[in-house]
Amino acid sequence: MIALLAGLLVLVAGTAGITTAAWHDDHAQDVFGRVPHVTAPRGPIAAVPGPARQAKVPRPVFLIIPAIGVRTRLVKLGITASGAMAVPTTTKVAGWYTKSPRPGAIGPAVIAGHVDSYHAEGVFFRLRRLRPGDQAYVVRSNGTLAVFRITLVRLYRKSRFPFQAVYGPVPYPALRLITCGGTFDYTTRSYLSNVVAFGEELTGKSVTRR
Amino acid sequence: MRLLIPRQTIRKVLIACAVSAGLLASAAPASSAPLARTGWLRLAHLSPNTPAVDVYLYSFGNPRAQVVLHHVSYGTVSPYLPAPAGTYTVAMRAAGAAASSAPVLSTAVHVKVGHAYTVAGMGPKAGLRLVVLDDQLTAPSGHSMVRVIQASMREHQVTVRSKTHLFGRNLIFATATPFESLPRGSYLVHADGSTEAASDQVALRSGTIHTLVVLDNSGHLKLVDLTDAVGAKTLPTVAPATGFGGTAAGAAGPSLLPWAAVISAGLLLAAIGLASLRRNRRQQAGVYTGSPPLADTAE
Repeated sequence: MIALLAGLLVLVAGTAGITTAAWHDDHAQDVFGRVPHVTAPRGPIAAVPGPARQAKVPRPVFLIIPAIGVRTRLVKLGITASGAMAVPTTTKVAGWYTKSPRPGAIGPAVIAGHVDSYHAEGVFFRLRRLRPGDQAYVVRSNGTLAVFRITLVRLYRKSRFPFQAVYGPVPYPALRLITCGGTFDYTTRSYLSNVVAFGEELTGKSVTRR
Repeated sequence: MRLLIPRQTIRKVLIACAVSAGLLASAAPASSAPLARTGWLRLAHLSPNTPAVDVYLYSFGNPRAQVVLHHVSYGTVSPYLPAPAGTYTVAMRAAGAAASSAPVLSTAVHVKVGHAYTVAGMGPKAGLRLVVLDDQLTAPSGHSMVRVIQASMREHQVTVRSKTHLFGRNLIFATATPFESLPRGSYLVHADGSTEAASDQVALRSGTIHTLVVLDNSGHLKLVDLTDAVGAKTLPTVAPATGFGGTAAGAAGPSLLPWAAVISAGLLLAAIGLASLRRNRRQQAGVYTGSPPLADTAE
């Protein structure tokens, strides 16, 4: 009898706890807040390169992702002594990894940005909200656009980061957008995972104008 | 009726309960699904005396062509086309021929996810055939991968070399070498037949994959450098640190699992309690039927 009562009591407590937790979890999704209104840029869309001798692709200067309200200039990112890709010095801009192909050239163009600062949202705060089919626009130094369709957005533990899939050779012009995500480890003050969005370049006629 | 608790919350609770009722949930699956969801195909015309053709790509069993490349002439190589895994038919018809006409030539291609293929019309017109070449999509660190396709008919044998590297000796018309890895650098590549020759400065950057094609050109050979695939010049070995945690507390959210465990424990405890209660009742009931109280019969 006592066991039954105790069991029911624990059951009620558990249900109450899980309801509160789930409620809290729902609320946590609201932290993304309102997506800033960003419109797709206008401009001539670059042709997708063929296999013959590669023409010089202009430098990327701006990244625009209307679906998650991103509009940022692109800084240059090199590689650090420890073998990591450098990251932007401010959390408000994204950067293009200069050891990767330029956006619109054959290969994976890698662009990284911070998810947050110590107290606020970073430029790629909403990256994990990107969905397959969303479009990302890279404006190049000559005013032309390379337009990419997002094909996959995934979260990887840093210990299992897919270096080859992100940076390795591909036979078409691709885009990789990288930020942090998952659990934040307060002892090491770093996130335990990375969010990676994969994209492929669209030809002019397959770009959807909104 | 208006619900005070959001429907999503209820759904989550129900799911969590279902999980807890099932007691121990299996471990979450590792993220190992393949990243590439297609393979890639490109089409090439490498037969010197064959006039321009229309190249059709069919998904096996589907009579409607997925892609038609019109008026593909000798020396043309298409960009890679993404192709979901499966079997395809590549067919060549004379340029301008009706799509319903019988193809001059066709072949089946089996495309695997994450693999790339070049389907090339090769050989002389009289012995034209469609060759499926497996293309390479990885290069060792600091290196480039290179192969040579010998598509010159006027020079039946061609030797392709640089000062430091022999790409192939006496390569026979309509053949391809396997890929080999070369240290990154700029190579002055010579293609030499018995009378004709060509040379080209080829930049082999690390993480790139190239196909060098020897072609007939008016009066001399021509060496074409095709970029098959490109990766980053330097692959980082450490995942990037792109966050400072300012939004982490909200983003992480409390876990539902401990509460699921509490519910499981409650269910278990209640079940045990119920079982023992029933057992007790049954035992007591047994006593009553065996010897009914005297007071009842006395009335």
